[in-house]
Amino acid sequence: MKQEPKIGVYICRCGCDVEGNISATVDVEKVKEAAFSINGVKIAEVYEYVCSNPGQQMISNGIKEHGLNRIVVAACSPRMHLETFKRNVAQAGLNPYLLEIANIREQCSWIHDDKKIATVKAVDLVGRAVERARNLKPLKEKTVQVNREALVIGGGIAGINASVELADKGYQVYLVEKSSSIGGHMAQLGKTFPTLDCSSCILTPKMVYVAQHPLIKIFSLSEITKVEGSPGNFKITIRKRPRFVDVSKCTACGECAKKCPVTVKSEFEVGLGQRKAIYQPFRQAVPSAYSIDKEHCLYFTKGVCKVCQKFCKADAIDFMQQEETQELNVGAIVVSSGYETLDPSGVKQYSYGLHPDIVTHLQFERLLVQGLHRPSNNEQPKKIAFILCVGSRMVENVNENDYCEYCCNIGCMNAIKEAYVFQKEVPDAEPWVFYTDIRAHGKGYEEFYARLRNHGVRFVRGRAAEVVPHNGHLRVRAADTLLGMPMEEDFDMVVLSAGLVPSPGTENLSRMLGIHTGSDGFILERHHKLRPVDTQREGVYACGCALGPKDIRETITESMAVASQVATFLGKGEVSVPPEVAVIDDEKCNGCEECLKICPARAIEKVPSTFRTRMEINPMSCTGCGICVPVCRTEAIDLNHCTEDQLMSQIRGVELKEDVSPKIIAFIEKNTAYASADLAGQTRAHYGTNIRIISVPSTGRIGFRHLLQAFASGSDGVVFVEGEDSVLTGEKLREHVGRLKKDMQAVGIESLRLVSTTTTIPQYPKMVDTFEVFINRISKIGPLSPKVREEIKKKLKWGESK
Amino acid sequence: MKPSRCHVITSQMLDKTFLADIMKMRGGQNILDCIQCGVCAGSCHAAWAMDFTPMQIIRMIHLGMKETILSSATIWICASCYTCTTRCPRGIDIPLIMSALKHTAIKEKFPAKIEIKPKFHQSFAEIVLKYGRIHEPELFLKITRKNNLHEIMQNAKLGLTLLRKGKLKLKAPKVNKKTQWSAIFEKVSKEAAA
Repeated sequence: MKQEPKIGVYICRCGCDVEGNISATVDVEKVKEAAFSINGVKIAEVYEYVCSNPGQQMISNGIKEHGLNRIVVAACSPRMHLETFKRNVAQAGLNPYLLEIANIREQCSWIHDDKKIATVKAVDLVGRAVERARNLKPLKEKTVQVNREALVIGGGIAGINASVELADKGYQVYLVEKSSSIGGHMAQLGKTFPTLDCSSCILTPKMVYVAQHPLIKIFSLSEITKVEGSPGNFKITIRKRPRFVDVSKCTACGECAKKCPVTVKSEFEVGLGQRKAIYQPFRQAVPSAYSIDKEHCLYFTKGVCKVCQKFCKADAIDFMQQEETQELNVGAIVVSSGYETLDPSGVKQYSYGLHPDIVTHLQFERLLVQGLHRPSNNEQPKKIAFILCVGSRMVENVNENDYCEYCCNIGCMNAIKEAYVFQKEVPDAEPWVFYTDIRAHGKGYEEFYARLRNHGVRFVRGRAAEVVPHNGHLRVRAADTLLGMPMEEDFDMVVLSAGLVPSPGTENLSRMLGIHTGSDGFILERHHKLRPVDTQREGVYACGCALGPKDIRETITESMAVASQVATFLGKGEVSVPPEVAVIDDEKCNGCEECLKICPARAIEKVPSTFRTRMEINPMSCTGCGICVPVCRTEAIDLNHCTEDQLMSQIRGVELKEDVSPKIIAFIEKNTAYASADLAGQTRAHYGTNIRIISVPSTGRIGFRHLLQAFASGSDGVVFVEGEDSVLTGEKLREHVGRLKKDMQAVGIESLRLVSTTTTIPQYPKMVDTFEVFINRISKIGPLSPKVREEIKKKLKWGESK
Repeated sequence: MKPSRCHVITSQMLDKTFLADIMKMRGGQNILDCIQCGVCAGSCHAAWAMDFTPMQIIRMIHLGMKETILSSATIWICASCYTCTTRCPRGIDIPLIMSALKHTAIKEKFPAKIEIKPKFHQSFAEIVLKYGRIHEPELFLKITRKNNLHEIMQNAKLGLTLLRKGKLKLKAPKVNKKTQWSAIFEKVSKEAAA
């Protein structure tokens, strides 16, 4: 049963009488009169602070005593008090989604000085709000139960610590690691800066703790292959590669490896040591069991041998093991997929790979642990050059791929530490560090650096130019940039502090999870400062080097933060789903999949049904951007709280007053761009009254139909303003606007009448500039020809009657 | 290397528009990307002969030390071998910047620290314009100072060595399809004029 809308309009002065923030430039009494004359408005009142207690009381009274069922508050920006009034309305017994706010402060009284113009604009703003309110529908927030289990992807120190923290809080954790043991890069390190603790000594107890924890289950040699479901209820498929050794039986005695005839280069020793085809990457590996490398094992390559099986006393070897898939149901996901060392052979001048004594910093770590020696002749090196920033901080390289623009964050401190350990190992050691800038930015780091400067380490400020093998030594050419003098020195070894890049699978993994990676390839956090371990998707978190290169201390901090975030998310036991999401009308959907292709949140899924493919929108994943609505050919999709009716009535509302020329509608994305417009108001930036703002979840919500309606309703130009962090920026926005422009030209509207821009909150001057330039442009072109307008109107009517 | 001539940088030495001027010229667009790492200075094969390293020249452009740069030897010593640019982590085209500086120095009539260099470039261009290819004997004749017997002897000696190894052709070179390279020259001079 449709309720007759009874609308109450509450206009705020925002201060006393003519002094108020609003009433100083807007004749509120006139606005009240105008509002009262609109059909359906039962009450229109003016008050000095509607947001105050008595003001809110007024609204409650209106609802309770006068039976109002739609409320329009004409006051400041909804970003300021939307939540206040929503609570207020809900307490009075009205659905909070039946409230609409007309922003007559930031978008009107603060923008204009002329009282007459401002009043006309305020009337228009209130009028449009009333039109929208008339079409508002009550909505309910749903809650969904969450699965109180978590998945951690990647078993390095980040994943280990996140698992420990979560399990200690009482949550079941599944830790998935692609190699045969957890531990990651930290297990490869010798000592750690600046305290010089032994890395293994602080890591391995944690690894054992993980292995023994009743709430942590480790999946080694496993990878994620499929992610389905929604935040709170993910369904994960993992693929377990066969180990060919029964973990429960293997005692890690090592008899098998002793007898195995195949020797290959060890990955754990970064090529500077050897292992067998049946191996354990390092003694403290967890799970503590051997595994067979199928690629090199003689049984798998040639069908002979099986020596290990013969000698295994525990009878743990099983050549028949097969690849398995397993499904897990979890509520939250933590990505801790870590980093890889950049291959320095791409930076040609350092001759990496051409001489065995030129090694990476990670290889040097292994050499230090093994007992320092030159890989070429096993002699002890006396003089070593540490070259920093190899492949880092580069914006161009002869080789397309092997470089990164960012700083590796750990290179400086790591090289300083390695120089120190080298000095400890070799009595008359001569370490030289060639640096670009020393970045000693952590607690105790600067002191460590200062100590080493006083300790015989030679620091040369200058990125090394080249490394050339020369008479059994390695000649390093560089410039001491502090003196401005070129220099050459001969060394026994060269250690390259190579940059850090995301693990190779990061891109693929993020696509599966429906999260984003930044231009550097690392996972993008929700907010650089305030949400540093959250991803763009609810229920998916990240920590450690998956987010960007960092040291162990910071990784630990993040893993603790991530555990806290996950616990907050899972601990509530249920998640509320905002009702402002897209919904599909099953009757109209023809299963063309256009929406599925365009959805940036991967919220739309194909559901097989007997007769045809159905589309389903997951309200948990849907961000409510509305991009899918205009692409739907059969008009089967609608967006709650920004429905076709509501949006169209808002656009039609522009027609109400024929006050200015040219008239321009600005569709503004409701978060960042709207906040930017608010800031323009707060700083009293002025722009023409020609601009009429309509806030939309994303400008992708605007289709050709809406544009036509805008032009039919008397607008002469349309501006799109999108937030730079929204789902529709860059290429996507250009495509969207390009398509609309083509359609506009087809019906005889000049494509110049549509313009788009992106903004961040502080970039409001850019937005105001765009407005001014656009007003000028449209003034020059002149208003839309009446003939075209009539034709558009006809077209729209025809569309509606159909 | 000689010690730098400037002991104290004063505001009189800084030209406010110099950086912007260089940034407008080819190669200068990304000059502010420089992180002063010194790869160019360390790589430069001619750095030993320079009064400022390429890195220092870039830094001086940032500051606007126009006079110091344009009267330096470095800009004339740069052999445009491109070792620095191949290795530069920031993709800065240093030889192009050097030639921009050379152009500016000639245009604004700064006496070249290495006298022969402007004449060398001039003669080189003239010969290429004439034949479409360099003709070394003529270049020798053009750039050797006639009143300096020592220089004449030295160049003659070098010339003989080159001649013996077949690196020097006494006959002027001929290029087929003259029209093609003259079109290139036309285009370049048009761009330079613009």
